[in-house]
Amino acid sequence: MNNQPPTTNEPNALEKVVDFVDERVGLKTLQAKMLNEPVPGGSRWAYAFGSVLLFIFILQVVTGILLMFYYVPSTDHAYDSTQYIIHEVEYGWFLLSYHFWGSSAMVVMVFAHMSQVFLWGAYKKPRELIWLVGLALFGIVMAFGFTGYLLPWDQRAYWATVVGVEIMDKTPLIGDFMARFLKGGPTPGQMTLSRFFVIHVMVLPAGLMALAGLHIFLFRKAGPAGPFRGTSAELKAKTDYFFPRQIWKDIVAMASVFLIICSLAFIEPVVLLEQATPDPGDYHPEPEWYFLFLFQLLRLKMFGGEFGQFLGAIAIPGAFMGLLAALPFIDTNPERNIFKRPASLVSWIVIMVGILLFTVSAILNREFLH
Amino acid sequence: MQPKLAAKAVCSNGEIGKVSKVIMDPISHEVSHVVVQENARQKLDRAIPIGEVQEIVSEEEIVLKCSVSEFVQFPLLNRDHYVTTHEVEIAHLEDNIHVTPGEVLVPLPCLERDVPRRTFFNNMTHAIGALIALPLAFPVLKYLMKPMYKPFDNAWFSVGNEKKITKENIGFQFKFTRGFKEAFMPEQQIEKNIWIVRATPEVKKEVYSGKDRKFYDNKGDLLWVNKANSPLIGFSGKCPHLGCGYKWRRTKSNPDGVFICPCHLSLYDESGKVIDGPAPRGLDILPLEVNAAGEIRIIDVEYKAGVKDQIRLL
Repeated sequence: MNNQPPTTNEPNALEKVVDFVDERVGLKTLQAKMLNEPVPGGSRWAYAFGSVLLFIFILQVVTGILLMFYYVPSTDHAYDSTQYIIHEVEYGWFLLSYHFWGSSAMVVMVFAHMSQVFLWGAYKKPRELIWLVGLALFGIVMAFGFTGYLLPWDQRAYWATVVGVEIMDKTPLIGDFMARFLKGGPTPGQMTLSRFFVIHVMVLPAGLMALAGLHIFLFRKAGPAGPFRGTSAELKAKTDYFFPRQIWKDIVAMASVFLIICSLAFIEPVVLLEQATPDPGDYHPEPEWYFLFLFQLLRLKMFGGEFGQFLGAIAIPGAFMGLLAALPFIDTNPERNIFKRPASLVSWIVIMVGILLFTVSAILNREFLH
Repeated sequence: MQPKLAAKAVCSNGEIGKVSKVIMDPISHEVSHVVVQENARQKLDRAIPIGEVQEIVSEEEIVLKCSVSEFVQFPLLNRDHYVTTHEVEIAHLEDNIHVTPGEVLVPLPCLERDVPRRTFFNNMTHAIGALIALPLAFPVLKYLMKPMYKPFDNAWFSVGNEKKITKENIGFQFKFTRGFKEAFMPEQQIEKNIWIVRATPEVKKEVYSGKDRKFYDNKGDLLWVNKANSPLIGFSGKCPHLGCGYKWRRTKSNPDGVFICPCHLSLYDESGKVIDGPAPRGLDILPLEVNAAGEIRIIDVEYKAGVKDQIRLL
């Protein structure tokens, strides 16, 4: 029994380093404060969307930085450098396809996250500011999608941008300036690509990081809303901390989303169309799937003509976003149970079904064109 | 043991008041004073150095060294000379405090006391910040706006020979390549296309209403005139709805064909008139010239899409 190591309470080298840093930074307190967030009513799968969004964003940053190692944002090299990434660079096709499908996953998760917050009534007092910052983040995610798909400089990229910028041009007063500002000239070209590139890789990530930080800060200030029913005694009995149960659910959700994105990247890797040119040839321009409903909306006769177009492209989406922003201030009824808020439930269903119908009819119209 | 807030304060010869606040030393992180509020009269607060405390009997009671008459010689507490621990960042200060309710104070540095111009300094900081930002705003804006407004390019481009147009009132696509010089980039050749219709007299009338069509440059000088009796009509390849590229297609209801834009399904007839779909105006007519050999030349004019009037961009 002599060869048993002597048991001491002396900290080892690693513990000493941790203690050294902790004494100066207070990491343990910080960690405790981060993990010991009480979740009223207990952890749930439905609360995982926000964490999953953060996870997707981090991987978009990583894959995006990797893509920039080869990508050249100029009209004479963008297409070739993207083809090089897809066909020549080891796993280039995978990283690009991951980035592509990751952007779609981000949009899906934003819709899921916003729906959850809406249905749970979690935007209500005292969480109005979290909701407002969240709407700004929604705008940033859509802007990421819009600026991102110009970068490969293929036909899909070019025409989505031509149409998208023409739509922005219809904004009253500042529309023409905005469109020229984004295009960097009267027609799309090198300046457009440069501008979209810098917006996509610098401006939007900085904006998203700042606002996401604010979003989480405000969320921690207000605390999680918890379920929409149950007495305070019931909620208290079920309450647990963020760690470990909610973090477990979050990490499982993240892993599932990661697997789905990877599978999509394998099954349906990105394939570029012809290089961009103002002559579309046989290509039928179409935006990314999450803009299809808006695209289909603008095909309607009632949103035709100068005024109709303003209505469909600017006024209605603008009014809808304005309504969402005003929501916590209009809907001041503290009732959060979605089954006791029939107007909210019905309008959510109508909007979701509407988006679905328009998207499906846009896809059906493809057949008609061939 | 630390005196608890609201603990009874007793002088050597009788009760005087209660502990209302505790003052911390920001350096040693120890309690330096207790603030005793007199029971009598105006409930004045006096700061008593911790050294003047005889004994902390219990959390409920402290005994001071002084008598009731000596107590009033301690200075009154000037609340403005202190901030609460919530308003100041002193690391680990609160580690030594075991009192939660009430105010825990830290003295302001001497230089910060009675500063009369705080508002002035505050405003000055913002003003200087604005003075830094404002002169930057204009150069930054001009910097970003540099390529936004370009003079029109009124150059003529050859697109092909009119022999290609074999039928009347049918859209024929002509592709051409044009040089495009942007900023620092070498001139790039980009492919574009236009559509040309050989119009019958009825269609010509539909297009020109018997009047010549004049084109002007950005100074308002006359650039070119399309004669009302010239049979070839060139249309810009850009859909006036939202700028996509449209095509000539035969459909069930239009066996001869119509111009159709695959983006938002605007339909135009051979004169460029909107027959269906969301387009706000008809196709844009280009300045077009045919020489004796039948070579067609055009000016590559582009207009803003989505508006009723033609607003020239290029």
